[in-house]
Amino acid sequence: MKRKAFLIDTTRCTACRSCQVACKQWNKLAAEATVNHGSYENPPDLTPLLYNQIHFIEQEQGDDLRWLFINRRCMHCADAGCVKVCPSAGALYHTKEGLVAYNREKCIECHYCVSGCPFDVPRYDTKQKVTKCHACSNRVQNGLLPACAKACPTQSLKFGDRDQLIAEAKAAGKKLYGENDLGGLGVLYVLDDEPGTYRLPKNPAIPASIFFWKDVVKPLGILGFWGAVGVAALHYVTIGPKKLDDADDQPRKGGE
Amino acid sequence: MTNTIDRFGTASRVLHWLVAISFLLLVLSGLGLYAHTFFGYFDLFGGPQQGIMVHKWAGIVFLIGSVLLFLSHAGEVCRFDADDRRWIARLGGYLSRNAEEIPQGKFNAGQKLFGIFAVIAALVMGATGLVIWDPTAYSRELTQASFLLHSIFFNLFMVGMIVHVYLATIGNPGTLEGMLYGQVRRSWAKKHAGKWLEKVVKD
Ligand code: SF4
Ligand code: SF4
Ligand code: SF4
Repeated sequence: MKRKAFLIDTTRCTACRSCQVACKQWNKLAAEATVNHGSYENPPDLTPLLYNQIHFIEQEQGDDLRWLFINRRCMHCADAGCVKVCPSAGALYHTKEGLVAYNREKCIECHYCVSGCPFDVPRYDTKQKVTKCHACSNRVQNGLLPACAKACPTQSLKFGDRDQLIAEAKAAGKKLYGENDLGGLGVLYVLDDEPGTYRLPKNPAIPASIFFWKDVVKPLGILGFWGAVGVAALHYVTIGPKKLDDADDQPRKGGE
Repeated sequence: MTNTIDRFGTASRVLHWLVAISFLLLVLSGLGLYAHTFFGYFDLFGGPQQGIMVHKWAGIVFLIGSVLLFLSHAGEVCRFDADDRRWIARLGGYLSRNAEEIPQGKFNAGQKLFGIFAVIAALVMGATGLVIWDPTAYSRELTQASFLLHSIFFNLFMVGMIVHVYLATIGNPGTLEGMLYGQVRRSWAKKHAGKWLEKVVKD
C-alpha cells in the first residue's frame, strides 16, 4: 500500500474554514461556545471537538496587516511519539496507508499520548478517550477523500499518494515542510515563512525525555531486573548466605 | 537468659509491611504502563482503568508510609561511623565466603544506605507520580521530565528491592524473623549487629 499524505499549501488558504466545518460534520462533533479574543481565529486551538483548526498569524506591518493561515492537525508522523508512549498496543496505530488512527475501545484513558506528541495534538473527550484527526481512515479505505480535503475550495488541502504529492510540489518549485522529519510527516506544508512563524518546530523530533524514557530507560530496566535476580542467584550459589553459627540458640543437652 | 532479642516493635512492623504491600501493588499495577509485554498484568485488577486507580492510591499509601518509616528510623539510619565506612569499603563482606564481620549498629551500613535511598526514591516517585496523576495538568516539559524520572527511579527501586529482599531473606538467614515476629536470635545479633547487641544488653 502506498503511503498517503496531506499536502497543505498555506499560500492558497483563505481561512474559509470549510475544513473545520466539514470535519465537524463528518465526525458528528458538536459546536462549542467560544469567546472572541480579538481575531477571526476561532477557536484558538484544537479541542476534543475540533480535529483541525485554522490558525491565524496576524502581523502588523506599519499600517498593513499580514495575515497567514495554517491548517493545524495531527501530522500523521511515521515515527509517531503518541504511538511510542501509548501503553495500550493498538489504541493508536498506523493504518496501512501510513496514517495514525486510533481505537477508542483500546484507549485506557491514561492521557500519556499528548506528552509524546511533538505537535501537542491529542485531546481527550468527555469519556476521557483520545481524540484527534484520524485522517478519515474509514473514508480513505473506501476510496473517498478525507472530509476536510474534499471540502477545501481552494485546493490548499490536498490528499493523495505521498510520493506523488511531493513530486508535484517539487516540480512546481515549492519548498516542503515535513518531508523527512520523524520518518516523514503525513502532513506536508508549503509555508510562506519560517516554520517558527507558524508555531511549528523547525526540526520536529520526539521529545528527548520521551526518547530516553522509552528507548533507553525501559530496556535498561528490564535488563536491570534480570541482572539483579541473576546476581542474587549467583551470589547464593557461589559465595552463599551468611549462615548463623546457631550454637547458642540450641538448648544445651547434657554430655554434648 | 533468653535466646531472642526485641528488634522491631509492632507499629514498626505493621508500617514496614504496609509499605511492602503497597510497593508490590504499585509494581503489579504499574507494569502495564511500563511496557506492552506486561499489559496483561492489568487483568489482576479487573482492567486498565482499575489498575491505574489502584496504582494512584497505592502510591499515596507508599509515599506516606515510606516517609513515616524513614522518620521512625532516621536517628539510626543517618548516622555513619568509622565501622560503617569500613563496612562499605569491604562491601559488607558479601564478596567472600568467610569475611570477618565488622561490628555494626542496629542497622548495617548497607541497610542505612538502602533506607536513605528508599526514602529519596519514594519522594521522587511520589512527586513525579503526582505530576503525571493527570498528564494534562502541568506543562508538557514538566510532565515529560516526570515520566522519565518516574521510570528511572522505578528501575533503581526495583534493583534495590531485589537486593533488599534477597539479603533480608535467604541471603542472611534469621534476618526476616525480626520483621516477622519482632525478635531476632542472639546469634543473629552477634553476627550482624554486634554493637547494637552490646548496647541492648547493657540497657
Ligand atoms: S502529530 Fe502527534 S498525534 Fe499526530 S501522529 Fe504525530 S505524534 Fe501522533
Ligand atoms: S490516552 Fe489512550 S490513546 Fe492516549 S496513550 Fe493513553 S491509552 Fe493510548
Ligand atoms: S482528515 Fe477527517 S478527521 Fe482529519 S481533519 Fe480532515 S475531516 Fe477531520
